[in-house]
Amino acid sequence: MSITLVMCGLLFGGALAWLLEGIKPQSARWVSLLTVLVIGVYFAIALNSTAYDFSTLQLLVRVAWIPSFHIEYALALDYLSIVLISLTLFLALICVLVSWQEINDKVGFYYFNLLASIAGIVGVFTAVDMFLFFFFWEVMLLPITALIAIWGHEDRHFAAIKFFIFTQVSSLIMLVAIIAMSFIHYQQTGQLSFLYQDWLILDLPLSLTQYLMLGFFIAFAVKLPSVPVHSWLPDAHTQAPTAGSVLLAGVLLKTGAYGLIRFVLQLFPQASLNFAPVAATLGVVSILYGAKMAFAQQDLKRLVAYSSISHMGFVMLALFSFNIIAYQGAILTLVAHGLSSAALFALAGMIYSRIHSRDLNNMGGFWLNTPRMGGFALAFCAAAFGLPGLANFVAEFLSLLGAYQRYPILTIIAAFGLIGSAIYGMVLFQSVFHGKRQVKPQAINDLSARELLVFSSLLTLLIFIGLYPNSLLDFFQSENIKLVLNNTAGVTK
Amino acid sequence: MTQLMLQCLLPILIIAFGIVLSLLLIAWRRSQTLILIFTLTIFSVALLASFSLFVNLASDIQVTTLVKVDSYGLFAFMLVLIASIAVSLLSSTWLIHTTEVHDEFFILLQLVVLGAGILVISDHYAALFLGFELLSISLVGLVGYSRDSEFSVETSFKYLVLSACASSFMLLGIAFIYSYSGTLSFTDEPEILTNISNSDSSVGNVFFYRVGFLLFMVGIAFKLSLAPFHLWTPDVYQGAPTPVTLLLATVSKIAMFIVLMKFWFSQAIFVETKSSDENILFLMSIFAIASMLIGNTLALKQQNIKRLLAYSSIAHMGYLLIVLMVISPHSVELAWQSALFYLTAYVLATIAIFMTLQLTQYNHHNTELDVNDWQGMFWQNRSLALLIIVAILSLAGIPLTMGFIGKFYLLNVAVKAQQWWLISVLIIGSGIGLVYYLRIIFVLFSTAIKANNVNEKNNPKELLPLPLTLTPAMNFSVVIIIILSVLLGIFPDLLANFLVKPY
Repeated sequence: MSITLVMCGLLFGGALAWLLEGIKPQSARWVSLLTVLVIGVYFAIALNSTAYDFSTLQLLVRVAWIPSFHIEYALALDYLSIVLISLTLFLALICVLVSWQEINDKVGFYYFNLLASIAGIVGVFTAVDMFLFFFFWEVMLLPITALIAIWGHEDRHFAAIKFFIFTQVSSLIMLVAIIAMSFIHYQQTGQLSFLYQDWLILDLPLSLTQYLMLGFFIAFAVKLPSVPVHSWLPDAHTQAPTAGSVLLAGVLLKTGAYGLIRFVLQLFPQASLNFAPVAATLGVVSILYGAKMAFAQQDLKRLVAYSSISHMGFVMLALFSFNIIAYQGAILTLVAHGLSSAALFALAGMIYSRIHSRDLNNMGGFWLNTPRMGGFALAFCAAAFGLPGLANFVAEFLSLLGAYQRYPILTIIAAFGLIGSAIYGMVLFQSVFHGKRQVKPQAINDLSARELLVFSSLLTLLIFIGLYPNSLLDFFQSENIKLVLNNTAGVTK
Repeated sequence: MTQLMLQCLLPILIIAFGIVLSLLLIAWRRSQTLILIFTLTIFSVALLASFSLFVNLASDIQVTTLVKVDSYGLFAFMLVLIASIAVSLLSSTWLIHTTEVHDEFFILLQLVVLGAGILVISDHYAALFLGFELLSISLVGLVGYSRDSEFSVETSFKYLVLSACASSFMLLGIAFIYSYSGTLSFTDEPEILTNISNSDSSVGNVFFYRVGFLLFMVGIAFKLSLAPFHLWTPDVYQGAPTPVTLLLATVSKIAMFIVLMKFWFSQAIFVETKSSDENILFLMSIFAIASMLIGNTLALKQQNIKRLLAYSSIAHMGYLLIVLMVISPHSVELAWQSALFYLTAYVLATIAIFMTLQLTQYNHHNTELDVNDWQGMFWQNRSLALLIIVAILSLAGIPLTMGFIGKFYLLNVAVKAQQWWLISVLIIGSGIGLVYYLRIIFVLFSTAIKANNVNEKNNPKELLPLPLTLTPAMNFSVVIIIILSVLLGIFPDLLANFLVKPY
């Protein structure tokens, strides 16, 4: 089981795509598709053949990297990272497929950036040396920013700069917290250490952890994103090329949630507990604000972007409820939202490629020409507003159920978000597929085979998880997770 | 004067003899290639000498009361020499395009290096002043070297007048400090200073020490272009010939910062130590905060690349001041390592950008290069564009590059000293800085900004007339700098191990 191989493979595949595109046009997308497929298969096979028990964090690699600071190259896996990496690799496939015809300019370099960012994200999900984590956290931004800035829509430079500054400034705060933690480790044990496992056993005074926790929390809240640090997201999502939006919504937001679960809650249980009411309130505000703003948008991608803020609010609320059901709900939300928002952004991209507009006013009456696209769109909208039978329903239901036990009033308010999501979901569907036809019928073709493949694979997964959520939840029911959460909750008493 | 002492001075002596020989060489034959090769030889020999000295140095060696050779100073001198070699190589391409004679240019350049060399090993106010003046006066000559340039008179006068003011302020400051401590040496009897806060009447008046320190700092801050003494920087950067700007941005700053650190740590000013003077620490923080904010904010609206770099250098010197906030003598070593690492990253990135600037300038028949003139370079000249990208990312402190490790070092020092205010300003400053750094990178990638305005898509006339024809040697150095910045960004220990004092 070598995660390093996965990352290097992705990077190498990207470089190869870049190189080959110069020699033979049209080859880059095939190379990328093949790379992601091979890596995905390798990852699946390697997982099945290892003897590790991934219900706890298993250290896979540990090599000295920068000895003068005791920084190590350390990677570890547990079920949380495995689920998120699988989601990442699956969405990477979707990304390659949706860019198939969209990108005609500098194609080789595009696929290089796409695969490089995937490699960086895999690194984020596995790094356990905090310096290494920070390294990946920052490095994955570069190719994603390039994706937005080079292949984005009209306002791409502004969006890319905004995105980069938000994440960079917040992560510098996290870097300060990381350095401070390593110095605390130095003070307590006489040695610098950036290793996550070393930090877990530190005895931290609460007065200090409050600030350190906040340092991490801000960085992850920006990525999640949570109100009031969400404003980069609508711009970045709207201006990014389709694959960029899919990547941002499907995977990048999950790195924020991953950081909250892995680092904020585990390293600073007591501080998180004290902070939980604030965080949960932020979550609820995000849910309602996101839903309200989504409803008011005229831009299709902006609408979906705001709906992401709303969905991520559920994750925040659930995580800070310290409850096993809510925790499972949060993880399920991550996966479900990854799939459904990816599908909606892919839809937006397909519509854009047909009518060259993202404005809902220019759409309408598509159903007559594109019944298949309409059917899928209806299903994905239904997923977004949590129709039973689809993954999002289970996810949001569990989140709310778990959160209710801790914050009854907040959860009741949050539940109104579901109504909001039904409204914006219907607005989306209605204004695109119903109503008066705005464009010539011959301009809009129904789904091609490639697009059909993208949509049907996403929908299959959504229905599968929706009907059989235990396929995922089984991984998160082990005693260890309960132990951690109980520990966290136990501090209250 | 033992033989050991002579050995320690060898790099400086080589430069000094080199200057004399160059004068003789000019008298014998005026030839631009000859003097260039000779200068490069002198610098390389001095570099070799200082490297062998650096490796073999067993302890700090006091050579007379004036100078003290230590490994930090030597490392800084090597940086100075590397930067000067880059300057000489760039000047040769620049001088071809001007009507000026070349020989004196290189002599002035060697004088600057000599001044910097004295500064980085000085241990005494006299040596400091000597180096300072040598550096300043030769720089004045260099700044106004191209007489037919429209800015040459303005630039050199500005620099001359302000530089003279700064050095007279500094002299007065030194006099005041002397009146308090009774010694001109940095390291002599530092115990006098340990009871500043007790304001013991047996030693001089503390007030004079503080005023002296303030005046002394005026001189240093002028050279480092710290806010509020930064006003000359953009004009001089813009007006001076590009290689000279590079010299100002690297050699003069390295030398001044190193001497500031030597002075500062010899005064034993530490955060949270009772004997330290709160006011002085506060003053330094103000310098740092003002420079970070003013530098970054004013850089936002700059179109001219040289002016932009001038403002960004102000911000970088502000960041660098953080290393002076040290909590105890134990952290001094970390502070030195941080400063030297940061300076190396800064110098490498600056050389990279100025090199590209120089190479693209004449292709564009325009001495005033705007950011937009680099438009679309990535698609036309990949290696050169990659060089700028790496350099800019390094200046912005993004991982994969040396600049990030430099920033990591600075944050380590700051966290250790618990300078939360400085850290917050550093974070804000870096955030602002990203706006103009990223703009440059996006320009490199974009192909249609200008074209859109005139409604002609991809009008080739709007683009930089590239591909440039890079000579193989140029291409080689471009690749080397890229590899070096990335390699040291990923494996910083390759350099960091050098910075640890072996004794």
